[in-house]
Amino acid sequence: MQKIKDERLLLKNLQNLRIAYILQTLGIIGILGYDLITKGIDGMRENPLWFVFILTTVVSAFLSMNISVEYESQKRSPKKGFLISLVVLTLISTIIGILTSLSEGFTAINGVLIAGIIFICGIVPISYLYYLRKKSIDDHTD
Amino acid sequence: MKNNLKVARIQVNLTQQQLAKKVGVTRQTISLIEKGKYNPTLKLCLEICYAVNKTLDEIFWVDKGE
Repeated sequence: MQKIKDERLLLKNLQNLRIAYILQTLGIIGILGYDLITKGIDGMRENPLWFVFILTTVVSAFLSMNISVEYESQKRSPKKGFLISLVVLTLISTIIGILTSLSEGFTAINGVLIAGIIFICGIVPISYLYYLRKKSIDDHTD
Repeated sequence: MKNNLKVARIQVNLTQQQLAKKVGVTRQTISLIEKGKYNPTLKLCLEICYAVNKTLDEIFWVDKGE
């Protein structure tokens, strides 16, 4: 097969891929929904498709950040937004960590662990957003 | 979008297939551009202009509101 160089066909190819992706996602949701009804939520999570579904959702969320950053007005400095998010994230993870360690059946180590996990999960999108905002400002000033 | 590609192409004695080969697209794309059913990118517009020895405004210019 020859490599496609025609820009119109490249675009059409992308549109076809989008349709295939939509169908695939609907199929995955259908299978997971069936698992949810027949085996319950734990049964659904055992299905490897659940992992695929979560992974693609996270990837598409990260990619759509790329789009939404360009829609933002440029008034706020990215550094300020990053610091505010960081403070809020630290507060939330600390509170959840403290509450967890105070709960029955959980030790202080569990609390620290959960707070750490929440912090790491939060810091990744925040840093990515900071990077994107900074990049879009740099692109605008050029 | 309306354009004068067909006239320009005939002036330099090129068939759709020949022009397509010159600019590196398929014949169908040239046909759709001539019919105004596909908007080419600026890059492809320029390639076409070089191939038929015309400037961008001679082939792709349309007056406002047309």
